Amino acid sequence: MPRTSPLHPFTVLALAAAATATTVAIGRWWLSVAVLLACLLLAAWARRARRLAGLAVAILAPAFGSQLLIHSMADAAGGHVLAAAGPLRITAEGLATAGALGLRTGVLVVAGLLCTLLIDRHDLIAAVDLSPAPPQLGYLLAATLLLLPALEQRQRAIGQAQLLRGATLGGGPRGWFRRVRLRSVPLVLGALQDAADRSAHLAARGFPAAGPHTRLRTVPDSAAQRRVRRIALACIVLGPVAVLAPTWAGAA
Amino acid sequence: MSPNLILPETATGHPMRRRMLAAAGALLLAGTYTALVLTQPTGLVDGLGQTVALATFAAYLVAALLLLAAVLPELPVSTLTLIPVALALNIVLGQFVGSVMVPLYLDSLGTVLVGFLAGRRAGAATGVLGTLIWSLFNPTVLPFAAGAALVGFLAGTAARFGALRRPYLAPVAGLAAGVLVGVLSAPVAAFVFGGTSGVGTGALVAAFRSMGDSLLSAVTKQALISDPGDKAIVFLVAALLIYALPRRLSAGFAFVRRHNVLGSRGSR
Repeated sequence: MPRTSPLHPFTVLALAAAATATTVAIGRWWLSVAVLLACLLLAAWARRARRLAGLAVAILAPAFGSQLLIHSMADAAGGHVLAAAGPLRITAEGLATAGALGLRTGVLVVAGLLCTLLIDRHDLIAAVDLSPAPPQLGYLLAATLLLLPALEQRQRAIGQAQLLRGATLGGGPRGWFRRVRLRSVPLVLGALQDAADRSAHLAARGFPAAGPHTRLRTVPDSAAQRRVRRIALACIVLGPVAVLAPTWAGAA
Repeated sequence: MSPNLILPETATGHPMRRRMLAAAGALLLAGTYTALVLTQPTGLVDGLGQTVALATFAAYLVAALLLLAAVLPELPVSTLTLIPVALALNIVLGQFVGSVMVPLYLDSLGTVLVGFLAGRRAGAATGVLGTLIWSLFNPTVLPFAAGAALVGFLAGTAARFGALRRPYLAPVAGLAAGVLVGVLSAPVAAFVFGGTSGVGTGALVAAFRSMGDSLLSAVTKQALISDPGDKAIVFLVAALLIYALPRRLSAGFAFVRRHNVLGSRGSR
């Protein structure tokens, strides 16, 4: 059974943002690798290490492939040429740049995905609802996260219904287009009809409610966590400034 | 899609404050873009490169959040219930299209639908919200929130000025929107990620770079090849879906009625 963080969702997000911003600002490979390992350890504690690795690889593999192509295959500036063929030059500097960019993207992706795996989505919705954010935001977040599995399920059901009624799809681009049309048109029209029905019910009940309202779900929070969040938010701005200010002075 | 029968439609907050927030967001976006294009920093992973990456990421994200804060409190209930459907459609259809190996995204279909039916403010809000929620599954999309807001804003603008009154006008509007969105998003791809998110687009950027282009120039050219085609298809598909809607549904949106978005199709 996967575990979720006992912390307030905003505490997790603030800590992840502070760690990511400071790591990107420092820009040392060993620190990026250490942050990635720490994220993996936390995911292992939450019993989601395999899921984190799978999701991260799915996002990072094409992005890193792109960075390798752009910076190591077509580097015009580097002096240490490892291989060259026509306009293509593989240089040591280009490979180093691609590696550094890959680590930077990796820290952002892995830290972000870890937050998603550690935070309970119902806690996140409740936290947004209890925050000073407009009440519409909590509704939109909750409705979207709950609608996603419902629409995916409906999309599969529509596909099965089309097969049952004997709709032939064919191959190639024509078959693909027909498949998209047969699934997306009923899906979109049905979803829009549902939204129209829902809006009448919500409007009749005076949504969005102005003023305070009672929430039955509470989110774990404490004075210490609030202090940690304030410090983390300060670190998001001050950490990179403290690290990078000397380089600005040097450039000036 | 009836209007509120019991309570008057009131927007919370102050109109002047919302206008100031929207202006601040637009200014921040325009200022960051102009600064990046004029200075075109060369280093990507040195001290200056890290500064540019973090500043670009933060400025584009903060600008998108300011625009969202300006727009969200004034959206009517009919639009608020439409937005989650649009966000879920973006994700579900984007994943489905992506899973069949066709080089299209179609992940802004819901955003464009909202822009067409509920106007540019609702479209922009949907773009930002869609990116924020999508970032729970893929954090790299976060700094592209401003580009997604622009897609929704331009869809609403195109619908307001008659892009849905003739079927052939929608893809033309999509082409123009794709150019603007590609140009706006290129600095994020170049300076935050140092390239693109896919190997195919990366190969295109590498080809432009090997011909002597700067990174920003190469990424912009690649975006100008990919984005207009994708947005033209998305705008056309969204227009066809809206034509297929029952009239009582499409006419339920005040924006569609006020600006005669569907022309003679809406009065049939």
